[in-house]
Amino acid sequence: MTKKKKDSSKPGKTQIPGSLKGEPEINTETRLRLYRTMYECRVLEQRAYDLFMQNLVKGTSHLALGQEAIASGFGTAMRPDDYTFCTYRGHNHTYVRGVSMVSILGELMGRECGLLRGKGGSMHLTSVKHGAMGSYAIIGAHLPVAAGAAWSAQYRRTKQVSVCFFGDGTTNIGAFHEALNFAVIWKLPVIFVCENNLYMEYTAIKDVTAVENPAADRASAYGLEAIVIDGNDVDVVYEAANTAFSKAREGGGPTLIEAKTYRHGGHSRADPGKYRPDEELQAWLNKDPIPMYRERLIGLGIEETQLKKVESETDEAIDVATEQARNSPSPSTDIAFIDVWADGGASWRN
Amino acid sequence: MNVLMPQLGETVAEGKVAIWYKKEGDIVAKNEILVDVETDKAAVEIPSPVEGVIGSILVSEGETVDVGTILAVINNQDADSGSSEQLANVEKKNSTPELTQNNFIAETLKSQKIINSPESGQSGRRLKLSPVVRRLLTEHQIDVNEVLGSGKDGRITRSDVMAFLDNRLTKPSVKPVLQPLGDSNRVPFDRIRRVTAEHMVRSKVTSPHVFQAVEADFSSVDAARSFHQERWRSDNGYSLTYLPFIARATCLALRDFPRLNGSVDGEALILHKGIHLSIAVDLNFKGLVAPVIFDADGLTVMGLARRIHEISMGAREGKLSADELSGGTYTLSNNGSFGTLLTGAIINQPQVGILSIDAIKKRPVVIEDSTGDSIAIRPVGILSQSFDHRAVDGSYSAAFLHKIRTLLEEKDWSAEL
Amino acid sequence: MAQLTYREAVSAAIAQEMRRDENVVFLGEDVAAAGGVFKTTAGLLEEFGPERVKDTPISEQAIIGAAMGASMTGLRPIAEIMFSDFFAVCWDLVANQIAKTRYMTDGQCSFPLVLRSANGGGSRFGAQHSQSVENWAMAIPGLKVVAPSNPADVKGLLAASIRDPDPVMFFEQKSLYSVKGEVPDGEHIEPLGVASIVRAGTDVTVAALAAMVPRALKAAEILQDQHGISCEVVDVRCLVPLDTQTILGSVVRTSRFVTVEENPRLCGWGAELASIVAEELFWDLDGPIVRITTPHIPLPSADELEDAVMPSPERIVQNIKKLVD
Repeated sequence: MTKKKKDSSKPGKTQIPGSLKGEPEINTETRLRLYRTMYECRVLEQRAYDLFMQNLVKGTSHLALGQEAIASGFGTAMRPDDYTFCTYRGHNHTYVRGVSMVSILGELMGRECGLLRGKGGSMHLTSVKHGAMGSYAIIGAHLPVAAGAAWSAQYRRTKQVSVCFFGDGTTNIGAFHEALNFAVIWKLPVIFVCENNLYMEYTAIKDVTAVENPAADRASAYGLEAIVIDGNDVDVVYEAANTAFSKAREGGGPTLIEAKTYRHGGHSRADPGKYRPDEELQAWLNKDPIPMYRERLIGLGIEETQLKKVESETDEAIDVATEQARNSPSPSTDIAFIDVWADGGASWRN
Repeated sequence: MNVLMPQLGETVAEGKVAIWYKKEGDIVAKNEILVDVETDKAAVEIPSPVEGVIGSILVSEGETVDVGTILAVINNQDADSGSSEQLANVEKKNSTPELTQNNFIAETLKSQKIINSPESGQSGRRLKLSPVVRRLLTEHQIDVNEVLGSGKDGRITRSDVMAFLDNRLTKPSVKPVLQPLGDSNRVPFDRIRRVTAEHMVRSKVTSPHVFQAVEADFSSVDAARSFHQERWRSDNGYSLTYLPFIARATCLALRDFPRLNGSVDGEALILHKGIHLSIAVDLNFKGLVAPVIFDADGLTVMGLARRIHEISMGAREGKLSADELSGGTYTLSNNGSFGTLLTGAIINQPQVGILSIDAIKKRPVVIEDSTGDSIAIRPVGILSQSFDHRAVDGSYSAAFLHKIRTLLEEKDWSAEL
Repeated sequence: MAQLTYREAVSAAIAQEMRRDENVVFLGEDVAAAGGVFKTTAGLLEEFGPERVKDTPISEQAIIGAAMGASMTGLRPIAEIMFSDFFAVCWDLVANQIAKTRYMTDGQCSFPLVLRSANGGGSRFGAQHSQSVENWAMAIPGLKVVAPSNPADVKGLLAASIRDPDPVMFFEQKSLYSVKGEVPDGEHIEPLGVASIVRAGTDVTVAALAAMVPRALKAAEILQDQHGISCEVVDVRCLVPLDTQTILGSVVRTSRFVTVEENPRLCGWGAELASIVAEELFWDLDGPIVRITTPHIPLPSADELEDAVMPSPERIVQNIKKLVD
C-alpha cells in the first residue's frame, strides 16, 4: 500500500504511485486532447464566473477552477458509454462527456437552450445520452447511485464502468461508507474519485477528519488499495484512470482514488474564500494544472502554434456559445408542469 | 357609559333589539326608555342608566346578540366611558381587516347565526341547514318552514328534503299561492304567532300524539265552589273557577303517574321531580302563552287559584319574565269558556302530556244505586288529554285520567278550602 | 382461483414479473437466502439465482441508491426496506434523489423501481417498527404510493408497480401478512390509481386503507345489523395516483364522508381527501366530514395499549353513528 506522509496542504512534486510505473507513454494526440479539454473547461468555468458577476447566472454556482486536470484526465480515459456521476461542482465533469458549452451556459442562465431547459440549474447538470448521469447536490447521495449503475453494467455484462466524483467532505458522510462497502462486496465496476481540494466547504478538511488522507486512509477499511495522486498533473490522473478502468472492466472490482488539488475560487459564488491562508493559495496557483501542462507539452516537443490554435479556437467558441445562450429566451412556463412522471405528466389524481 | 344587552331570564343567553327610541346624537335623561329588547318569551324596555348624549348605537333593530353585548354608548361626564371593552366591541361590529383571527371567527359565527334563520326570517330560532339541504332548498324553491326535520333536535336532513320533494310531486300543495288573490289580504305573522306556529309544528313532528278523554261529574267540586264563592269574590275580587280544583287533582294524579310528568330524551324518559304546571293563557285572541306554577303540588286549591289568577293577569299585561314562561312539566289548557265539548290540544314541548278542560255544563246523567237507575242533572265536563306515545301507553294514560276523575268526583273539596 | 396469504402474494407477484422480464432484479436485507424476515420472498433465490436476488448489508442508503442507479441504466429493481420506519434512514435517496431527478433533468431519465416495505402497526413491535408512513411518501411529488389490503390486491398491485415506469413505494401492512384471500390464477394485474368499492351502501361513504379496510367492513356490518345504517366502504388502495372520481362519486350519493386511517392524526392521507371533498362537494354534504385515526402519539407496544389507540370497529361504529344521528 502506498501511503503519503507529506503535509497534504502544500503541493509537492509530481509523485507517480508505484502501480503506475512502467505504463506505456501517453501519445501526442491524447496529450493534445488532455490539454484542450482542460483549457476548454477553464474557459467555460471562467465564463460562468463572469456571467455570475453580471447577474446573468442566478442562484448559486460552484466552480471548479483549478481542478480541470481531474475532469480531463478521467474524461479522456473513459469510454463514451461509461457512466459518470458528479457533485454540484460538476460543470467540468459534464462538459468533458461531450455536452455543448451553450447548453451548459444556457442552463446556468435559466434559458430555453439550457441542458435541462432551466428546470434543474447549475447543481444538476445531466446528459444521459452522453453518459453524464447527473450532478448531485446532497453530499454523498450519488455514491450508492453510481454503485447501482455499476451493478447494472455488471448484470448486463456490458463492461461499462461507473465513475463517481466527489469532494473531500464526502468522505465523512454515511453514504460514502455504505457505497464503498457495497461496491467491494459485489465487486462492482465503479471508480470512486475523491477530489481533495483541502476544504470541505469553509472548513479545512484536516480539522474535521480523523485521518490525514480523507479518502485514501479509509480504503483499507473496505479492503481497497490506498491511492493518492497529484490531481493537478493530468498525465498522472490519466494513467491512474486507465488502470482503474482496466481493473473494473476485467471484473476486478472498484477503485478508490484520492486526487490532491485546489480550487482557485471559494466554495460557491457567495464565498470569497477568505478562510484560506494567502501563501497556501499562492502556492497552489503556482501549480495551476494548465500552464504547467502547457510547459510540459512544449518541453516534449509539441509546437506552440498547435497549443495557440487550441486556445484561440476555444476563446472563440466560448464567445459564440455565450452569445447564443444569451439570446435564448426564457423557457415557457408550461414546462414547469410536466415530466414528474415517465409519461410526461404531473398529475397525482384523476 | 355602556348600555348592555340584559339577561332576560336565567336560562336566556341572547336577545333581539326590537325598537330604538333614540338615535345617535340624541340627549337622553336618566331612566328614559332607550330601547325595547325581546326574546321569544318576553319583551323588556331598557331605560338609560345615565343622563347624557347617545354616542353610538352598535346593534341595529332586528339584530340578535348575546347577553352582555354593548348595545349603545352614552357619552356622559362619567369617567368610565371609553373603556377598551367598548373599543373591542366597536371593532367586532365593523369587521375591519385588522380583526384578530379569533374575533373574525366569532364575528363570522355570529353572523352565521343570523343568516341561518330561515328564508321567512324568524327570530329566536336557529336552524342548522347543512350545505346539501341549503342547496336543495334553493334549487327547488322550497320554503324551509314547510319541511319537517327528522334529524336530531328537528334538524332537516337531505332525506327530509327529498321526501318533501317526492310528496310535492305526487300531491300538489293545496296551500294558497304566495301572492294573494284579488279579494284576499295577506297578514304577516307577528312574533307570537310565528313562535307559536313553529312550536306547534315541531311538537307534532316530535311527539306521536294520542287523544284520550274522560267525562267527570263536577257536583262535588261545584258544592265546595258555591259554598265559598261569595266570600272568595269579596276577599279577592275575582271568581273561584273550576280550574284550580282540576289543577289540584292533576297534581295529585301526577304523583301517582310520574311518567306523565316527564320529558323524552333520545331513548330515555326523564322523570322530573318537581311538578310544575303550565297554564295555557289566551291573550285576547292575540296569542297563547303558558306561564308556569312551580311546585304546584305544594299549593292548596286556594293557593292554586291565587297563583293562576296572578299569572293570567301577568300574562295578559305582558309582565311575566322569561323564567316564568318556561320550565313547566305538564300543561293545563282551559278551553271551556266558549262552550266547547272536546279539544285535542298540542303538547307543550318538551312535556309529554297536556290536559284540555272544556265546558262544564249541566247534563242528564244516569245514577245507579241500590234502588235502581235514575236520571239526575249534574254538572259534567270532558277532560281530554293528548299524550306522547313514546313516554306512556294508552292504559297508563287512561288510568291517570281515571285518577283525576275519581279525585274530582270523590274528594272532600270543602275540606280543601 | 387460489387461496394465498398476503405474504405469499408478495413473492407470487415478484416471481410473476421476474419470469416475464429478465431486467427485474431484487435486493434487500435477508431477502434471498432467508426469504425475508417476514418470509415474503421465500423461494425467489431458488428460482432466479443469486445474480437476480441479492442479500445486502445493513445499508439502507446503499440499497436505495443502488436501486436508483440500476433503474436509470436499464434495470427494473425491486428494493426491500425491511420496516417502513427505516425509510427515515435513507429518506434523502427517496425524497431528494429518486423523486426529483426526472423532473430536474427535464425528463432525461426515469426510475422504474419499486421500494417495498412492511408498514404499520398491530404487531406489538413498538413505536419504531410500527409506523404508518404512507403519508411521508404521499407528501413528496414524484413518488407513487400503494397500500393494498388483501392478497389479490397485493399480487395485482405489486405486479403493476413493477411494470410501472415510475418509482413506486409499495407499503405492505405487516399485520395482514397471514390473512388469506382468493387470488386469481395466472397473470394478475390491478391498475394503479383505482380505488375499490368493497361494500355498497347509501348513508355514508367510508374511505379506508390497508389494515383499516377489514375494520371498516366489520364496522359496516355492525352498523347495518344493529343500527340500520348503510355504509359504502371504499378501499382507497393507491394514494398516488389518487382515484378521486370513485370517492367523490360515492359521496355524491351518500352525502356523508368518513375516513378510517391507521396513521397518527396530523397530515394523514384522510386530511387530503377531506379537503378535496370539502372543496369540491361542499354543496352535497349533509353533515361534517369525520376522520377516524390513531391519535397523534407514537404507537405503544403492549397489546391493550396498541389496540386501544388504533381505530377499532367499535370506535368506527360509534363515530359513524354519531355522524348519522
